[in-house]
Amino acid sequence: MHFHMIIVAVFWFGFVDSRKIRGISSSYKRFFRERKSFLCIDGSKIIPFEQVNDDYCDCEDGSDEPGTSACPQGRFYCTNLGFRPHYIPSSRVNDGICDCCDASDEYNSHAHCQNACWNLGQRERAYVEGQMRTLDEGLQLKQQLIEEGVLLWREKQAQLRELQQVAEDLQTKLEERRSRKQEADRLKEQTPRPPEAGDGRLFRGQNSTVTGTFKLLDSNKDGSITVDEVQAKVALVHDEERVLSEDEAVIKDTHGAPGVGEDPPLKVADREWEATNLKKVEEAYDTVNMEISDLREKLAIDYGPDWEFLFLNSQCYKLKVYEYTYTLCPFNQVTQQSTAGTEVSLGRWGMWEGPPKNQYGRMVYENGEPCWQGGSRSTTVTLTCGTETALRSVKEPSKCQYIMDFQTPVACQPVLKQRGIHSEL
Amino acid sequence: MAPVLVLWLAMSLSGTWAVDKGNFKTCDQSAFCKRQRALKPGDSPYRALLETMELTNTRLTLQLINDNNKVRLLLELYRLQGNMTRVKINELKPLKPRFEVPDVLITEPSTEPLSLLSQDENGVVLSLGTESQRVIISARPFRLDIMEGPEVLMSLNSRGLLAFEHLRMRKDTSLLIHILAQWMISIFKEEEEKVDGMWEETFKSHSDSKPNGPSAISLDFSLPGVEHVYGIPEHADTLRLKTTDNGDPYRLYNLDVFQYELYNPMALYGAVPVMLAHKAQRTTGIFWLNAAETWVDISSNTAGKVCSSETPQTDVRWISESGIIDVFIMLGPTPKDVFSQYASLTGTQSFPPLAAVGYHQCRWNYNDQEDVASVDAGFDEHDIPYDYIWLDIEHTDGKRYFTWDSHKFASPKEMLQALEDKKRKMVAIVDPHIKVDSNYKIHNEIRNKGFYIKNKDGGDYEGWCWPGSAGYPDFTRPDMRAWWASMFAYDQYEGTAENLYTWNDMNEPSVFNGPEVTMHKDAVHGAWEHRDVHNLYGLYVQMATAEGQIQRSGGVERPFVLTRAFFAGSQRYGAVWTGDNAAEWDHLKVSIPMCLSLGLVGISFCGADVGGFFKSPSTELLVRWYQTGAYQPFFRAHAHLDTPRREPWLFGPENTALIRDVVRQRYTLLPYWYQQFYHAYRTGEPIMRPLWVEYPQDPATFALDDEFLIGKDLLVHPVTEEGARGVTAYLPGKDQVWFDVHTFQKHNGAQSLYIPVTMSSIPVFQRGGSIIPRKMRVRRSSSCMTHDPYTLYVALNLQRTAEGELYIDDGHTFNYEKKEFIHRRLSFAKNMLSSVNLATDAEFSTGSWIERIVILGASKPSKVTLKTADGQESQLEFDFDASMSVLTLRKPGVNAGLDWNVMLQ
Repeated sequence: MHFHMIIVAVFWFGFVDSRKIRGISSSYKRFFRERKSFLCIDGSKIIPFEQVNDDYCDCEDGSDEPGTSACPQGRFYCTNLGFRPHYIPSSRVNDGICDCCDASDEYNSHAHCQNACWNLGQRERAYVEGQMRTLDEGLQLKQQLIEEGVLLWREKQAQLRELQQVAEDLQTKLEERRSRKQEADRLKEQTPRPPEAGDGRLFRGQNSTVTGTFKLLDSNKDGSITVDEVQAKVALVHDEERVLSEDEAVIKDTHGAPGVGEDPPLKVADREWEATNLKKVEEAYDTVNMEISDLREKLAIDYGPDWEFLFLNSQCYKLKVYEYTYTLCPFNQVTQQSTAGTEVSLGRWGMWEGPPKNQYGRMVYENGEPCWQGGSRSTTVTLTCGTETALRSVKEPSKCQYIMDFQTPVACQPVLKQRGIHSEL
Repeated sequence: MAPVLVLWLAMSLSGTWAVDKGNFKTCDQSAFCKRQRALKPGDSPYRALLETMELTNTRLTLQLINDNNKVRLLLELYRLQGNMTRVKINELKPLKPRFEVPDVLITEPSTEPLSLLSQDENGVVLSLGTESQRVIISARPFRLDIMEGPEVLMSLNSRGLLAFEHLRMRKDTSLLIHILAQWMISIFKEEEEKVDGMWEETFKSHSDSKPNGPSAISLDFSLPGVEHVYGIPEHADTLRLKTTDNGDPYRLYNLDVFQYELYNPMALYGAVPVMLAHKAQRTTGIFWLNAAETWVDISSNTAGKVCSSETPQTDVRWISESGIIDVFIMLGPTPKDVFSQYASLTGTQSFPPLAAVGYHQCRWNYNDQEDVASVDAGFDEHDIPYDYIWLDIEHTDGKRYFTWDSHKFASPKEMLQALEDKKRKMVAIVDPHIKVDSNYKIHNEIRNKGFYIKNKDGGDYEGWCWPGSAGYPDFTRPDMRAWWASMFAYDQYEGTAENLYTWNDMNEPSVFNGPEVTMHKDAVHGAWEHRDVHNLYGLYVQMATAEGQIQRSGGVERPFVLTRAFFAGSQRYGAVWTGDNAAEWDHLKVSIPMCLSLGLVGISFCGADVGGFFKSPSTELLVRWYQTGAYQPFFRAHAHLDTPRREPWLFGPENTALIRDVVRQRYTLLPYWYQQFYHAYRTGEPIMRPLWVEYPQDPATFALDDEFLIGKDLLVHPVTEEGARGVTAYLPGKDQVWFDVHTFQKHNGAQSLYIPVTMSSIPVFQRGGSIIPRKMRVRRSSSCMTHDPYTLYVALNLQRTAEGELYIDDGHTFNYEKKEFIHRRLSFAKNMLSSVNLATDAEFSTGSWIERIVILGASKPSKVTLKTADGQESQLEFDFDASMSVLTLRKPGVNAGLDWNVMLQ
């Protein structure tokens, strides 16, 4: 019993002491030690100590009223045992709204504040732990993605080299075809005789060459070459180098042909065939070049120091928000599709626009569909750390300006395990 | 908002931001205006038939005859209590009744005795009772002159412009004998219509069927000695009205004008047919009680002349499309007498909840609950107070008012509770156009009850507005209004709570596909045409909505309803704003004369969209607009859907700080603002007032509209010029001094003062001789400040005296009507400041106390003694700043509701 009384007494004194200088942190206690007078912390004025926390602002800097709402510039320290201590503006002291989780700010108001610090602390700890787990997991995943990114980067580089090779070959062939066509045209002018039948060797040879290349590229046999087809074939070429060399051989073979015969007269049909083939080679050449510049463009994008964002390049992520489905294809574009089906561009890849400390924290997509009052739609994507890659939220705070929250492990940044939760007594 | 859907095309084609004037009529395009304006001043065809005169104690009646067509009119003349004369003119025997405006006058005005002074065959002289006032009725031609002593105060029909288009049968219906004749006449009639538009009128693709034919009325008023006339809002024009000889008359016809143009007489969203005329010796007013389309011509014999030997005179002529002539002549003689006279007719400004005097954050639109929560949190994060966050039309389920979008606002009660937890409130929009949708309860009920306005063929009138096809409830019907009011009950309007209030927009009414973007005039309200009641519609919408808010709380809580359309009397129901302005410097400037003009005709609770509704303001303009708006009665930021976000913290820390500072200034002054609202509610005096109202004999003040007074003690000259380095403010009053409220520097009155400004400057001066209470502890919202102590700013005049008031009540209920308030007079004289009870029959207790007393223009005392009601005396500490002569008394600590005095020795 006696023992209990002592404990109560100890508690009581502690209480009185802290009440005297309500609203300060322990590091500020030294300013409030003097018992006769108080020097405003900015040194501007000395006031009797009774005027500290007497609900009248005497110091310009508000330092004499840490525990009341009297000073416009003042601040109140929430000790928040069990949670995180923090300052609130003095204007929130006794305003009828619970701001400190320990209820210390509403010591003279009608508000019925409960001490919620322990619960908040628990929740905060659980949250931080969760965040830490996410971070750890995310960082591991990020490492994998970095490794994959490096491989992918190399692969793409190789792809580029292959494509460049194909382009070179096609160019050679193109030159040859051009000179052939010129030759044919010249011949036609000189000897306007009808071409003789049965002289199809050259034609066949040439046929086998151009159509061979063409067929090689025109994998779906629809008579035209698409970018996809070239890409697929280039991959194929990359896998089976031999095919390319055979093809090359064929091209070389035909190259020697003009020297063999003696300007054999060409038929009109042959000439047309020649022109068509030239066109096809030109097309193939253009296609491959386009593909090259496309790939170059893609490779010119900043995918982060370890190419960790590269894997996002060919992906798209969707999210339905109210009546719209939003699609983010990183480094490409953002679109919005209404339930009615109309699709609107919300911007094409623009740039990284993160703050200096987190350069890869934000992407901007610009020049989407125009807005009726001028300007065009744009989207800002904020990248946050998560264990999977997904679009988390989309907002349109102002018309035509979209904000997306995009979660991915590659956005995880190793940080010092921080934020000590004030849990000691 | 404005009818974007309909008009955006026109705008984008023209490529400019100005109004498309082609959508709105000029006087020439409005048949009756053209007809009436074609009449030129001259001898009136009207003659008073003196033998028909009947004079009772309170009423004179007399027949007038038009000698051209022999149609007789009945003139009624009343002397009203409070120095007013009412003149009514109607047809003696109209074919059918003509519309007389109901529900605008608060009661049938009390009359005073009239007596006959003399009579002969030329006329009659009546005594108007007080002050040797007489009215002379001349018989041939008919005219009225109101005299005081030898002075003519006002003359009616002195220019012979009285016109009264009597109701008549169509000519072709009375002559049906011969088919040929009928055919001939119909040809003739068509010709007549083309010239006159008497029986039919078309404007653009819209046809007005005019089944009652011509019915316009007109009357002229001459104002001897007057060079300044004011009022007849709403126009985006200067405070002092201009002469209209070289252009269109001022038009009063409630219209939704898309991107309105400044400095012209075009009609806008609201109409108050009240004009004030002022000269140094006297202020008078004309209240033309007519709700139809009205045009007002103003001419002056001295306009444009630098020096004239003529006695100045302003002539005014009112023209309305239908109804009767019912005019109240308010004879002053002071500006405040006119306010009180007008208030006795149409009532005073409703006393709003205190929170409504705080800052309002609006945008079209806050997208969803999360958006609302994050904006709310933004204010806390940046330590900027606000009281109301607003939701525009997108919060509804497909523009069905009284509903919520089920995804974006899935749990409105939770949202409202979250705001309530911070002692904040919300406003949601409820427009009067109702989506035609058989799955919509509100529509079904209105249709089933037959409450919709009808078209000329008897079906429900349908127009195009935000929801698409929409019906318009007939708010002129009392049963409709009662039903509408009942829809605000918490069990009817789901998802609502005590802290949700209402905004009535588009209540002109706006009809996107109607003539001039409003309703067809031949639409039918029971016995009357829309033509007759048009300008009343918006008033009724706000009336019914405010009533709904009162009812939902069982008559306990004060309502807060904002309206865009208004009429005389709208002041009784809430606040108005100046509609869809634009983010331009000129729009900021014009917000001052627009609100001043409204204040003069009773509507004190006025504001303009801070920042400008259309377009995006520069940061400088936005900051300047906050600084101006913080000193106007209704303080709300608003922005168009298509503009970038502009919450106060989006323009860098410096600008956030500037905006924070001025919003906080508003909050420190809330006690003063609130007291002004109480005063406006009691007296009808404007809160935001032109300088001439307080300095009626100083001609230098008569046309000022770049500065204004709040009450009588604060003078504000906002900075409204881009890149301004300084402003020149006129400080009135020969024996007056003014104190800069920021620096406490003293300036003499009756001078133009150049004030250098920076971005943080908002030139505000406190009048020497006044005491202004403030609350210096600015908190998250006004409700959080309820129990806070007061600081009294005592500004001494040259006689070293000062007076002020302190009004305190609960801030939100009608209990002030039951005398639950504190109203004290604070006065400083002979070195003693004292607080005495101004309302001894009232009772209220407050926890607020007097924290500090700041005396401007003081000298240093040797001691300061506080004496409380129980006789106890104590010494107060004080601080004296000799450089500015500012004496600050530390912590008197007395309760603000008690008697006390402070003696300086």
